[in-house]
Amino acid sequence: MNSTEKKASSRLIISTFFVLAILIGAVLVLHGMPAGAEQSGLGGDVLFVKPVKTVIFSHKSHVEGLSMSCNACHDKLFSMDGGSTEKLADFNHKAFDKGKYCGACHGKTASPMNAQCTNCHIGVKGHAKLMKPARK
Amino acid sequence: MKINGIDFDENSADRSGMISFMERRAFLKLGLAVTGIFAGGAILSLTSAVERAFASGGHVQKYPYKPHYSMLIYQNRCIDCELCLEACVQANQVPKYGYRTAILEREAPKSTGTKREFIPVLCNQCNRPPCVRACPTTATYKNEKNGIVIMESKKCVGCKTCVAACPYNARYFNEERKAVDKCDFCFASRLSKGMKTTACAEACPAKARVFGDLSDPASEVYRMVHQIEKTVWVLRPETGVAPNVFYSRG
Amino acid sequence: MSDNLTKTTHATTEMRLLWTWQAIVSRLTGVGKGYYVWLAISTALLTAGIAAGLHAFVVGYGHIYNVTREVPWGILISTYVFFVVTSTGLCLVSSIGHVFGSKDFMPIAKRSVYLSILTIVAGFLVMFFETENVMNMVIYNVLSPNLHSNIWWMGTLYGAYLFFMAIEFACLQFDRHRLAMYAGFLGVVSGIAAHSNLGAVFGMLTARPFWYGPYMPIYFIASAMMSGCAAIILFTWLAAKINREPIQGSMARAVDVTRQVGILMICTIMFFQTWKILAGLVGGDAEREAFLALLTGSYAFNFWTLEVLAGMVIPLALYILSRGTNMKMLFWGSVSMIIGIFFMRYDLVVVGQIVPAHYEMAVNEYQTLLSYTPSAHEILIVLGGIGLVGTLFMLGEKIFAAHRVEDHAEETHAETLPALETAERTE
Repeated sequence: MNSTEKKASSRLIISTFFVLAILIGAVLVLHGMPAGAEQSGLGGDVLFVKPVKTVIFSHKSHVEGLSMSCNACHDKLFSMDGGSTEKLADFNHKAFDKGKYCGACHGKTASPMNAQCTNCHIGVKGHAKLMKPARK
Repeated sequence: MKINGIDFDENSADRSGMISFMERRAFLKLGLAVTGIFAGGAILSLTSAVERAFASGGHVQKYPYKPHYSMLIYQNRCIDCELCLEACVQANQVPKYGYRTAILEREAPKSTGTKREFIPVLCNQCNRPPCVRACPTTATYKNEKNGIVIMESKKCVGCKTCVAACPYNARYFNEERKAVDKCDFCFASRLSKGMKTTACAEACPAKARVFGDLSDPASEVYRMVHQIEKTVWVLRPETGVAPNVFYSRG
Repeated sequence: MSDNLTKTTHATTEMRLLWTWQAIVSRLTGVGKGYYVWLAISTALLTAGIAAGLHAFVVGYGHIYNVTREVPWGILISTYVFFVVTSTGLCLVSSIGHVFGSKDFMPIAKRSVYLSILTIVAGFLVMFFETENVMNMVIYNVLSPNLHSNIWWMGTLYGAYLFFMAIEFACLQFDRHRLAMYAGFLGVVSGIAAHSNLGAVFGMLTARPFWYGPYMPIYFIASAMMSGCAAIILFTWLAAKINREPIQGSMARAVDVTRQVGILMICTIMFFQTWKILAGLVGGDAEREAFLALLTGSYAFNFWTLEVLAGMVIPLALYILSRGTNMKMLFWGSVSMIIGIFFMRYDLVVVGQIVPAHYEMAVNEYQTLLSYTPSAHEILIVLGGIGLVGTLFMLGEKIFAAHRVEDHAEETHAETLPALETAERTE
């Protein structure tokens, strides 16, 4: 190969590499961003069904909206294992009032938990609505 | 129908406005003034007119039932966990196709603050029950001691007039009992056996349902109903049935 | 075939002779093929209805009928109301003749009394398959009555009504006219009392703004008279077909005056309904929604086409245009009216329940109007009731020789009024 042909082929290789990188990156990014509640790497909406059905926790409003870091809650207040924290025996408002779990912020720096219950408590009906495939 | 000597029929109003002296006194004792003057003044009853005539100050000394069972529901506290519904089904063998109490959901997406509310509904054990008036065989009647509207299954014809008459959709036909069924404040299953409260009120983790004696000053129900600062209301007051289930927020 | 006609002058003694099986069977022969076909159809409907009812009873009404806790009253209740309204109307219109002495109405009296019995029995048949515990009704209506209950009064008074009407019919059949008049009077009184209580069953429910108020009992009585007129004309025409005789003379006159009462009652009902609707439209949300469902919503076809057009406008037009002499127009007008009235009852009962009790709370569970469609079983039972009326009417028409214009009426109207002779135009 002469020099011009070498340059052309190396440009081809580099541009192919770039395109592939962009495509792969796009796929990765898009894969991590499904429509709906889940944000890539954020954890999405958590539905607590114990001790009562159902309380909704939105990662989006806490992480994105309030720019909280993962360490603010995990693993000190809440385990990252889905469904494990709610099984704990003291996961209730008595403990929250003492500053545990949600009570670490709520009732102190965040909105109190003895008012506006249905902001978080979506109930059995709210749960059923979320589970329905076709959203109203 | 007569309750404690008072004729509750529409007819009694027809007697050209003349109410006997004894009946006026009985009305005062009745405690229906509660719903006329308290409960947000949402209900006009014959009693309010009588109260004004007697200038008694609106405070009622005597109630016709002892205990005068009532329920107070704090609408804002209900979180639709539906533990009350489960407890009711358990305690009263309510079949799957029916219910004695239900939770209704009201959504207000444009509101500031909370955007939904859960409202428990059940039989209101009315003081002027349209179901009792309509039943051809007195299969349903108001218990003379405690005011609960009781269902006597063996006499039920199944004509469903009481189901149509109820302003609160509180009744349904129970195939197993072969009779219409409804909430009886757990009288048959719990109160008559010495327990002090209904299954639903006991099961509620948020204290949204408060069961109590409307005539007992120590009861929370009495306290909340006999005050005029916080709004207390009843459902469908225009039907004139004078219900015993009160709603508030707090 | 002309057995009965030749024996008119010796009616009293002859009636006793005519009640042998032979005589009865012979009265059922010598009719056209069409009679047997329609009799077979009626009997088939009656049998199907009873079969459907029994099947539903075995399976459990709650599993088969389409009524729910929110809509507990469906087509069986509305059909019961339909039959009972028709029965009371027949009694009231015929009483103008027999009880209150208007001679023009007398020729239709016996048939009307008979039909009033049939229609109320049909109503009871339909009700039998609607009521969950019929035995309890029989026992506890007596043992533990609630005198404040409109249903109790209606049931008891209709029992008395049936008793009096049966006595009246027997008296008419055996020419005991004085006694018939007393029985008829008691029938009218108990009929009006029972019927207004039936209206009050709906009208005294404060929970149902579509029904609540003094209107229902009043409307039911007026509507009964309207239905009665249509039924009398319809069945007189059918009887003329069965007996292959023209409607003429005093019978034609009776049909004419019935038609006139019918015209008056249609106009009355139109007036009543107009104001009921106008008043309802300025009511609360729940009340308005019910009326709007009738006027522009899911019951608009029922209302405008069946209730208004078929039930009132067409009959009124045909009644007027017939001038009292065109029997065919009168017949079709009556058929149209009866169909319309059936749907008036249906809409009354169902639309009164489609607005949920908690509608004004604006909760998700009760945002929309409820719906009800009758199940196949319910429809079959309705057809069974119609079959019962058809079967017993056709049999009775021959067995009781009801076409014979009554003796005492003929005594006072010795000559047929020539102006009212009606040539038979029908086949």
